[in-house]
Amino acid sequence: MRDVYVVGIGITSFTRLEYPLSEIAAYPAMMALRDAGLRAVDHLYVANMGGGRVNHQTGLASAVVDTLSLTPAGAETVENGPASGASAIKEGFLAVASGMHDVVLVTGAERMREVNNLEATDFVATLTHPLAEYIYGVTLPSLAGMFTRLYMEKYGVTERHLAMVAVKNQNNALLNEFAHLHQPITVEGILDSPEAMTNNPYVAEPLRFFDCCPVSDGGACVILASREAAEGLGKPFVRLAGIGQATDTHCVHEREEPTDLLAVRSAASQAFDRAELAPSDVDVAELHDAFTILEIVESEEVGFFEKGQGHLAVERGETSLGGRLPINPSGGLKGRGHPVGATGVAQAYEVVLQLRGEAGERQVEGARVGFTCNFGGFGNNVVCLVFAREG
Amino acid sequence: MGREIYAYRCRKCGQLHYPYRMVCRSCGDNEHNEFDPVPLPKDGTLLTFTQLHNLPSDFEVPRLKLGIVELDGGVRITGQLDVDEPRIGMRVRGEVEVVRRVNYDRRYGMVFREA
Repeated sequence: MRDVYVVGIGITSFTRLEYPLSEIAAYPAMMALRDAGLRAVDHLYVANMGGGRVNHQTGLASAVVDTLSLTPAGAETVENGPASGASAIKEGFLAVASGMHDVVLVTGAERMREVNNLEATDFVATLTHPLAEYIYGVTLPSLAGMFTRLYMEKYGVTERHLAMVAVKNQNNALLNEFAHLHQPITVEGILDSPEAMTNNPYVAEPLRFFDCCPVSDGGACVILASREAAEGLGKPFVRLAGIGQATDTHCVHEREEPTDLLAVRSAASQAFDRAELAPSDVDVAELHDAFTILEIVESEEVGFFEKGQGHLAVERGETSLGGRLPINPSGGLKGRGHPVGATGVAQAYEVVLQLRGEAGERQVEGARVGFTCNFGGFGNNVVCLVFAREG
Repeated sequence: MGREIYAYRCRKCGQLHYPYRMVCRSCGDNEHNEFDPVPLPKDGTLLTFTQLHNLPSDFEVPRLKLGIVELDGGVRITGQLDVDEPRIGMRVRGEVEVVRRVNYDRRYGMVFREA
């Protein structure tokens, strides 16, 4: 297989966007093409989860390739739930690594604010098992709530640890002009103040409002190229060094140890093996914190911390900007926002920005190796990526 | 006569599955549909739970309690809880009742109460 490099990146603001889904996908692609200095690509992959259901638009990739006037390049839509973004990057990687294409564009987009929050939650809940979960009213927050209660019982994680993750990520988002939330919060304000029960109510006990990511519109793009194609473009060499993907049971209740996220563990270990790197080599990571608990648990399952120790690392500030291993400098899903199909690409955008040294106020100094974890379903389809700066 | 929810017992290795799957997760050795349906037990132990405050828009209640129950015999199920103060490890008993209406169709599932 050939080496694959990221030669262009682009992103929209993550917020409520009042333009069509196809343009939310196309806009970051234009930015990425400009970033790379390219006018044409061989192929497009468009990551999206809900176009057919939420926006009444199917065949999104065909619309995007035309709106960018990139026809007759091949194009296809990749749907893999909230892991669509990293899955599309994987498809792009394979196309370049195999030698089939030299330059491919991967853009992810979602427009979830076209419907109200409850409908958006119901749309995401269609990921759950139709007969054994969905019919009961099970949503992703409710699976996360049940998971959190077990984790608290078993490992001593408290609401305070979760709030620390929320505060860290929302504060990081203040440094990211594209982030959805630009609202500074404190642990005192959302847990201890007299207003805490009204400004931070329970959503799915024990998870509260500030433990959950917002519902966002947004798009992000990366352009992948072979070494030969990348050499002419003059961009810093950021190699997509390793990819791993794994699945788990559809129903959460079928997992032997319900506090384990085995798909995260397996996807990360495959990605590190392929990159010939280890978790200890990582300088910066973007994890899938759709709920604060997930950042803590993923940081353990991917190998940054021992199982049951992730919340202690948060407590010690190790995962904050300036800490030993900053996690979610972009604000993560919690602060940047979570347009489901775009998220995996937005994570890659942030890591590439960091490895290029272009992340401004939130730059992790000297970052050479970056990691992303894109978590689909409730951990039943996970894609992890390892990026390495060369030169 | 009460309604039942069924688990599926692999004819090759005896492993019980809930919900239905086409190939046995335990032995992987059966052709599809080589399962015998077995009514799920109704008694079990509450493993974890949540109270949901943001329900999908078709629910007409403000809050809903959900839990995962380990039924006697070991099969686990997700269900609704009609319990005032749920506790991990409490004994519960299920009934098959209407749990959701989707496009006016009644969907039946397990609702657990304190045993």
